[in-house]
Amino acid sequence: MALLSGALLLTYPATIIPENRLQVWTFARAHFDAYREAIPGFERDHAGLKVDLQYVHERAVTSRLRAAFASDLPVPDMLEVEIRWAGGFFRGPLSDIGFVDLTRELKKPRPDGPPWFERVVASRFAPYTARRKVNGIEEDHIFGLPHDVHPVLLAYRRDIFEEHGIDVEKLTTWDAFFSEGRKLLKKLNGDGQTKHFLIELNDASSEHFEILLFQRGGALFAPDGTLRMDDETAIQNMLWYVPLVAGHDRVAYSLAWNLEMMGKAQESKLFLAVLMPDWLSGYYQKYAPAAHGKMALMPLPAFTPGGLRTSTRGGSMMGFSKKSKQFDNAWELALKLYYDTDSRIEQFKLLNILPPTRESWKHPALSAANPYFSNQPLGRLYADQAESTPPQYASPYAQIARRKLGEALSESVRYYSTNGVNGFEDYVRHRMKQAGDEVRIQSTLNAYD
Amino acid sequence: MTSRKRNPMADAVSHSTSDGVRAKAYASWRLQQKLAPYFFITPFLILFLLFGIYPIIKSLYLAFHSTNGPRSVVFTGLDNFRFLLNDPDFATALFNTSAFAFFSVFLQLPLALALALLLNSTWLKGRTVFRFIFFAPNLVGQVFAGFLGIVIFTPLYGLFPKFLNMAFGVDPSIKWLGDANFVMPTLVLISLWMYVGYNSIYFLAALQSVDKELHEAAAVDGASGWHQFWHVTVPAIKPVVLIVVIMSTIGSFQLFELPFTLLNGSSGPNKSGLTLVLYLYQSGFETGNLGYASTVGWTLALILMAVSLVQRKLSTSVRGHD
Repeated sequence: MALLSGALLLTYPATIIPENRLQVWTFARAHFDAYREAIPGFERDHAGLKVDLQYVHERAVTSRLRAAFASDLPVPDMLEVEIRWAGGFFRGPLSDIGFVDLTRELKKPRPDGPPWFERVVASRFAPYTARRKVNGIEEDHIFGLPHDVHPVLLAYRRDIFEEHGIDVEKLTTWDAFFSEGRKLLKKLNGDGQTKHFLIELNDASSEHFEILLFQRGGALFAPDGTLRMDDETAIQNMLWYVPLVAGHDRVAYSLAWNLEMMGKAQESKLFLAVLMPDWLSGYYQKYAPAAHGKMALMPLPAFTPGGLRTSTRGGSMMGFSKKSKQFDNAWELALKLYYDTDSRIEQFKLLNILPPTRESWKHPALSAANPYFSNQPLGRLYADQAESTPPQYASPYAQIARRKLGEALSESVRYYSTNGVNGFEDYVRHRMKQAGDEVRIQSTLNAYD
Repeated sequence: MTSRKRNPMADAVSHSTSDGVRAKAYASWRLQQKLAPYFFITPFLILFLLFGIYPIIKSLYLAFHSTNGPRSVVFTGLDNFRFLLNDPDFATALFNTSAFAFFSVFLQLPLALALALLLNSTWLKGRTVFRFIFFAPNLVGQVFAGFLGIVIFTPLYGLFPKFLNMAFGVDPSIKWLGDANFVMPTLVLISLWMYVGYNSIYFLAALQSVDKELHEAAAVDGASGWHQFWHVTVPAIKPVVLIVVIMSTIGSFQLFELPFTLLNGSSGPNKSGLTLVLYLYQSGFETGNLGYASTVGWTLALILMAVSLVQRKLSTSVRGHD
């Protein structure tokens, strides 16, 4: 058996996928379901072409892709990569990168309007862009087609805020939000056991910290790949964030990422507000039915009056294998799945994910009342903030930076819980620098960075 | 009936031909005999060379190089090993893994032995059912146990915090997987659930092979239950105990799936769930540094070899005493 299968593999190296089959991997179940609806139409328009769509876990995509690129083995013609892992595939010389450079294709004028590069929110190309110096000039090379914008709004329990006469429209800054919110919490919790928290914020990993860091104008990396996770903006964010999640006056709490528990938390009104990217609003509709009609969305309160009212969380790109012989078909399919307004509106109706192309934001479906979110025009609310979505720049060390930021947060929380404000600022500055240095040291280890 | 006259010449030729054929057949049979074992082990050998030896050699090669795909390789000498010696993440991973191994040996195995003694008791009814019940958690595997753990240990709503709150008034908002102080205890608790029953099966088999006459003789000599256990049972099951200790230690150092699923691929708060193999995975597949991941892998292999050697020495000395 071993000899036979070995001989078979040697006879058919790397070409076992038939020429008329387009292999597509997606890591998100929700995307898989939506694409499955859209693909038959594409197959009808391309007689003889079969699209083989596969749902592969995001970590499996990452590790299989990395192993395949490292050993020069074939990968699917096109595949989605989660935003957190993307930067890891863009290291080293351009010839080493296993994805097709899409820059020219994206900047090419199109018969139906401006180039795609101008039709998509500019900040969404940042996570999939590698900057390289060619003849002394820095050039940006785009290796992924952005699937989304993922603006973040604040979802709040409209029923509770209204019951206590709080007009959220007036809470335009975080200071105002927390000031009013603390009063509300005091009323709700009384002097007994804490049963409600003002907002869901994680105290051990960086996911919510990052949202607020981006909103504040901070970043993990600069466009040229320089580490920014320990700069003054990040330190200020840490000094502001930790007292919200630690100590006696904490107003935030978090549960592990668990869809069942998300529903339970809404049943018991555990969180009065949640940082809500568009994709998460879809999960709430599905997994937290107890909050149906009781939640509403508003732009994030700003850090300073007139400041940015949104941020971003999550994302994915479509990459195209350099080894694929079907780039044209793959590109066409990607454009249909990602940028065809009708197709994306269907996906929006399923998942609440805002399409990344500006022209699709005019579609009436985005203004339709959403009964879960108190009949608000959910799509419109997200679209209104989409243009301001802050960028996340690519780096092979983004995931380490996130881990180190989480560690710094976790230790700062521990320090604050024990010592309060005594020496807190010095500690945060020291711990953030340590975290940043650890990332810098790691980046010296690879000869290709 | 006609009789055929024998032709001596033809007979001689025939004899010599049949001798030649026989000799050839014999030689062929001898060759087959010689080759047959190699033929039978060929499939294994091919697979072993492909998936055993080649990766070992390749990973050793990678440990001394920095790579970025098959066409970009740079020799870095001992840089990866030097880095590893000063790497705080590796130190944390080594500490966490050693702590887990310590609890595996000194908490899990005594409990497994106690359970085996219980299951070996003559007064216990339905032993087979109990044996299956205690062994069953091992059948689900670490990945499933990890996912189950996420639900069971969820603060406020999980079964475990709710039970602790009802039974002992413990704060249900404790984050078992989100607080650096509780991650290792949670990992140990889940591994106890999974492996106490599994290891008890080994101990039970050993206990059942202890000669009953030895116990009877000891009882006649007036030995108490404790003395019988310490001076009769323990020496008799020592070889099995040592094997289980070695297996548990090696298994503990290879811990990966449980923290990986339980902590959603992260190292846990403040790296409290970072194990050596998890760090190897993160270095290789998240950071994309296959060279450094290979260095971590080889260091882990050396640690395991050292631990196994020490345990083998101990086992030899114990056998020597016996």
